Amino acid sequence: MADSDRGAQLAASCASCHRPDGRDDGIPPVVGVDQESLASALLAYKSGQRESQIMHAVATSLSDDEIAIVTRYLAAQGKNGKQP
Amino acid sequence: MKCWTRRQFAYAAGGATCLAALRPRMARGEAKARVVVVGGGVGGATVARYLALSTGTLDVTLVEPKSRYTTCFFSNLYLAGLRSFESLTHGYEALRERHGITVVHDSAVAIDPAGKTVRLKGGKHLPYDRLVVAPGIAFDYAAIEGYDAAAAEVMPHAWMAGSQTKLLKSQLQGMADGGVFVIVAPPNPFRCPPGPYERASMAAYYFKQHKPRAKILILDAKDSFFEQDLFQDAWTRHYPGMIEWLPAQFTGGVKAVDVKGRSIKTASDSHKATVANIIPPQKAGQLAQDAGLADQSGWCPVDPATFESTLHEGIHLVGDAISAGEMPKSAFATSSQAKACAFAIAAALTGSERFPPRLFNTCFTYLAADDAVSDAINFKLADGTIKIADIAISKVEESTEVRRQAVRHAQGWYAAFTHDVFG
Repeated sequence: MADSDRGAQLAASCASCHRPDGRDDGIPPVVGVDQESLASALLAYKSGQRESQIMHAVATSLSDDEIAIVTRYLAAQGKNGKQP
Repeated sequence: MKCWTRRQFAYAAGGATCLAALRPRMARGEAKARVVVVGGGVGGATVARYLALSTGTLDVTLVEPKSRYTTCFFSNLYLAGLRSFESLTHGYEALRERHGITVVHDSAVAIDPAGKTVRLKGGKHLPYDRLVVAPGIAFDYAAIEGYDAAAAEVMPHAWMAGSQTKLLKSQLQGMADGGVFVIVAPPNPFRCPPGPYERASMAAYYFKQHKPRAKILILDAKDSFFEQDLFQDAWTRHYPGMIEWLPAQFTGGVKAVDVKGRSIKTASDSHKATVANIIPPQKAGQLAQDAGLADQSGWCPVDPATFESTLHEGIHLVGDAISAGEMPKSAFATSSQAKACAFAIAAALTGSERFPPRLFNTCFTYLAADDAVSDAINFKLADGTIKIADIAISKVEESTEVRRQAVRHAQGWYAAFTHDVFG
C-alpha cells in the first residue's frame, strides 16, 4: 500500500506534462507503456544517453529505487485503466 | 510528531492516542474531515483535485467567485494571434462532477483562524479542519503615481487574465502602424519572470505581420531579467530594430503615469505611449493581506515541506502569494507546491504516509511562433527554505529544430497541464 502511495505521489509530477489518459498532444504518453520501457527510458535520460533537458532534470531527481516505484505504478495504471 | 502509517499504528502499543491525534474525526466515527480551498486558480484547483484523487475520505470545498478561469500563461499567444481566448478558458465542471468537489461560486471575505471558519460574501460561513488559501497576486498600486484600478482600464496591466487581456489585445489591434507600445516591467519578485519579455516578443510577432513600423519600448524596474540572453538574441534575429529595453540604471525607474496624456514618467524622462501596458509591483492577494497571512515583505511565509502558514496554524498557502525560497512565481511551480500541500494535508487528516515533497518547475517561453525555449529546475529543502538543486535552461546557439520541438512540447504541456489542474 505504501509503495503504491509513493508511486501515486511520484507520478503526480509526471501528470504536469503527460496526459494520464494516454493522449499525445505533443508530449508522449507515459500511461499504457510497459514498466521496462518506461524504466529504461528514464535511466537513459538520467545518464544523458537520451537527450532532453527537461527529462534529464526529472530523471536525475529520482533514485533508481524511485524510478522502479513510479514506473511500476504507471504501468499498473495503464492496465487498470485508471487515471492518476 | 512522527507520522505513523496505518500499518505501523496497528502494531503499536498506545496507538490509540496517536490515531485520535492524527485522525480525530474518523476515529470518533464522525463526519468526514473538511478541507476548504479558497481560490480556483492553478494552486487552489490543483490542491482540491489532488485531495479528491488521493483520498476518498475528505470533504473538499473549492471557493471561487468566477465560473470560468482564464490562464495567464499562454495569454501572450492570444495577443500574438496564435491562440483563441476561448482556448485559454476553463470551467470547474470536471472538478465538481468527476471528482466530487463542492464548488461554491462566491468570494471569501474573512477568515476566523480560531473558530476555523471562512465567511463568504454571500453571508455563508464554511467550517473547516484545514484551510487552503491560494489568493494569487495583488498590485501595489501606490508604487506608481497616477496608476490604479481605474487607470488600468486605460493602460491595462493584463497580468491577471480575463477582461484585461482582451482590453490590451484590442488596443494593440487598434494601434496605428508606427505607434509605440510601452511595457512597464515590474521589480522582483513577480508573477512569471519571463512573462513581460515574452509579451514583448509576441507583440513584436503580431506587429511584424500587421504594423511593421511599430516600436516596442520596455521600461524595466530591473537591470537584468530572466533568460535575457535568449530574448535579446531572438529580438535581433526575428524583430531587428523593433524592441528597445531600458534598464532601471538608465532611467531611474518608472515613477508616474499620466493616463490622459498617455505618457509614462521615469526619474529622468517622459515617454509617450500609443499603447501602454503597466505591470505594477506585486504582493500576495488581498485575502492573504486581510487575514494576516502575509508578513512585511508582502508575501506569505510557509513551512516549505507542508505549505502550512508559519503565522496561522491549520491554514496552508500555495502559489504566487507565498515566499517559496528560490521557486519562481509560475503556474508549474504552483502546481508542484499544490500537490505537495495536498499530500501533506491528506497525511495530517487521514494518517496516510508522508513522503518528502517533490518540487519542480518548467516554463515554456515563446520567442516567435516557431521558436520557443524552456527551463527545468529541481528544488530541494535546505536551511528551512526551498533552494535550487539543479537547473537547465535553453541556450542561444540551439538549432531551429530544437526550438520547433520546444513549441510542440509547449503545446502538449498546456493541454496536459490544464487537464491536470481542472480535470
